[in-house]
Amino acid sequence: MNRQHTHNKRRMSSKALVSAVVLSTLFVSACSSNNGQSNPGGAAEGGNGERVTLKIEVFDRGNTPTGMTIQDNYMTRYVQESFGDPNNIDVEFVPVPRSEEIEKLNVLMSSGSNVPDIVFTYDPNTFNRYASQGGLTDVGPLLDEHAPNLKAFLGDDVLEYGKFEGTQFSIPAKRSNTGKYSSFIRQDWLDALGMPVPTTTDELYETLKAFKEQDPGQTGGQVIPFGMTIASAQYETMLWSFIEPLSDEERFTLTQQLGSNDYPTLLPGFKEGLAFMNKLYNEGLISKDFGLDEDKKKFYEDISSGKTGFFSEDDVNLYYENGTYDILKANEANANVLPIDVFTNSEGKYVKPKYAPNGMYIMIPKSSQRSVEAMKYLEWMASDDHLFHIQNGVEGENFTLEDGIPVALENPSQEAIDRMFISGDMAIISNGKQLGSEEDNMKARKLQFPTRYQEDVALAQEIANRDTVEMVVTGRPIEAQTKYATTLQDKFNELIVKSTMASPDQFDTVFENMLNDYMTNGGQAILDERTQLYAELNG
Amino acid sequence: MSFKSYFTRYWQLYALVVLPLAYFLIFRYGPMYGIQIAFKDFNFFQGILGSQWIGFDAFREVFGMRDFYLALRNTLMLNFLDLLVSFPAPLILAILLYEMKIVWFKRLSQTVLYIPHFISWVIIGGIVYQVFGTQSGMINNLITSIGFEAIPFLTSKNEWLVTYLLVGVWQSAGWGTIIYLAALTGINKELFEAASIDGAGRLKRIWHITLPGLKSTIVILLIINLGNMISIGFDRPYVIGNLAVREYSDVLSTFVYRVGLQSGQYTMATVVGLFQAVVGMIFVLGANYTSKKLTDESIL
Repeated sequence: MNRQHTHNKRRMSSKALVSAVVLSTLFVSACSSNNGQSNPGGAAEGGNGERVTLKIEVFDRGNTPTGMTIQDNYMTRYVQESFGDPNNIDVEFVPVPRSEEIEKLNVLMSSGSNVPDIVFTYDPNTFNRYASQGGLTDVGPLLDEHAPNLKAFLGDDVLEYGKFEGTQFSIPAKRSNTGKYSSFIRQDWLDALGMPVPTTTDELYETLKAFKEQDPGQTGGQVIPFGMTIASAQYETMLWSFIEPLSDEERFTLTQQLGSNDYPTLLPGFKEGLAFMNKLYNEGLISKDFGLDEDKKKFYEDISSGKTGFFSEDDVNLYYENGTYDILKANEANANVLPIDVFTNSEGKYVKPKYAPNGMYIMIPKSSQRSVEAMKYLEWMASDDHLFHIQNGVEGENFTLEDGIPVALENPSQEAIDRMFISGDMAIISNGKQLGSEEDNMKARKLQFPTRYQEDVALAQEIANRDTVEMVVTGRPIEAQTKYATTLQDKFNELIVKSTMASPDQFDTVFENMLNDYMTNGGQAILDERTQLYAELNG
Repeated sequence: MSFKSYFTRYWQLYALVVLPLAYFLIFRYGPMYGIQIAFKDFNFFQGILGSQWIGFDAFREVFGMRDFYLALRNTLMLNFLDLLVSFPAPLILAILLYEMKIVWFKRLSQTVLYIPHFISWVIIGGIVYQVFGTQSGMINNLITSIGFEAIPFLTSKNEWLVTYLLVGVWQSAGWGTIIYLAALTGINKELFEAASIDGAGRLKRIWHITLPGLKSTIVILLIINLGNMISIGFDRPYVIGNLAVREYSDVLSTFVYRVGLQSGQYTMATVVGLFQAVVGMIFVLGANYTSKKLTDESIL
């Protein structure tokens, strides 16, 4: 009895195992047959004029108005009607959350069959990685054959940024305005102290000290003379003004491009810049918690509650409807923020970084069967007034034309507002409004803002474009940059935070330690590679 | 009993097991296929099978990184300190609650203590920043208003460590009491009566009855905790940590996130994951073995 029972048990367990195995095999085969079908099935339809599906990535910022979805809204319908139907194409939009853009794109790309036919990223390293792993379609021939308008729109300079080792593996979007930063000061505080607007770094330092000691904003000891965070917009203008004038060779070899920005880590003068920041910190002139404020939340809070006297920021960020400036004015009716240029370098110039002329990298994955349709879509966007329509909406409902420049209507209907929620993310071939010239682009940008701020916006834009430093073009991707960029961006921020927060007598030691850490984690590799490349190109 | 009659009688039980079994096969064993990424130069577009074998190269690279050791040290350090500080907290709380005689107050405190467990770490991070910030945190505002120096709770590494540990206790201690309270209901009440008749005071009763009654629960939880020594949640160190205290706050999970997901180096992320799994297993088996030897309690 006992034996038989054991025997039964053994038979059962082997049986269970078999069924489990069968079950899991079923699962696996089900999955793979699914995968197998979607691709070749689509391919077969391509040539003979049958209706095909084009999948396009779109950023999802979670701001979809009620009654619409990210895949079905005014803009997607416009695309379907104007582009899809005449070409016998079903356009399908694949949402990717804006905040996890790269992670999600990595997953989509490695999934092979589910990847959209048009994908994009702002991160040059991600683009380089995909290109070097052989995952992208060479769009050069497609551009020549199908996209004359797009080529003309972008121009050769911009297209150059989309090349990887000489091959056009991506189509870079065109940026309408390359200015980045301006600085801002509380004019009403200056007036209260009877001080002039500072025009040099030294004058600014005196002003900041006066803000701290005399508290003209009556914050009750909570004054933050210089608003600071660990986001680049707040520290870059200041740090770059300390960089010494460079030879072409120095610029090429010592610059470190991490992500889409050039970093000054190794440039002469960088340490002096940090020493200045250290001094500001230790004298209580910048926020004690700046190293925690990565998303600028506290930064904006302090500006709008009237605690901050001076700061640097993206040129137009203050001026949105119900934005930071509006809130500040609601809290303090007399608040007056003036855009200024103040950080002078050794030559008395207001140097500051600018954007590269390209925006994001638009790519067609190699596995895509719809590369021709994808190119046609981009060409469609660059043709006629399609881009204009996507960026500005409907005349009379969203905007009126003044001298050929669209001016936003003062009180648009809810329907008109709702249709524009996705406008910027649909207009993938352009970063910012395109009206033919940089001057008109900036004018149009200004006119998007509330009338009461348009003068300030114009001034801030002008400042952002003054004495800018161009990014260094290496002509060939630096492999070490692709590999170490994320780690090094982090190390760079750590270097800034640690050096700034060190006591003045510890500054040198901390700076050297952190720089050493930066170098061993890839900084040296980038330096070596750039030095070698420079020798090769100029040797 | 023949197999047929056995099966017709008990098939439901096997049917019930099929789902969990399938779950484990698909979601726990299936992904192990991906472990080979650790030994390959993973290429997005070639997939796992198409990528080149590179042997132990990625291991050499990871083990050569200073940041990896830093993250490893921090993981062990934070977990160990957490074990010292956070492990006894729910036990003490549970005994305190158990000794309470006013039922409504007991229930109320229990609920109040649970609530933090349901708050996401992202939100706790925001609260911590508002409360403990140096420039304008609530506590430092109070400290500076009575004339003392502000304390850098979040930006100086040792102060940060204390903040990290105590926030952990605040978040999890209440929830942790549940298991102990459940175990406590299993203790025979007569033991307490008998002990008090024999003249045992409250502390003696706790020492001689309550604690021994919880012994096996404590040991099991300890084994589980030790097994998790090498793995650490992502949210808490990521959210509470910051650049100024990176020396302490960068742990294996945040390291994997940065190196693996953000930089797209899946091979290195897999190497760290595999390393964690192997070391974690050694810890569990070790703790289990030790506990079996010392107390006769074990989970395997």
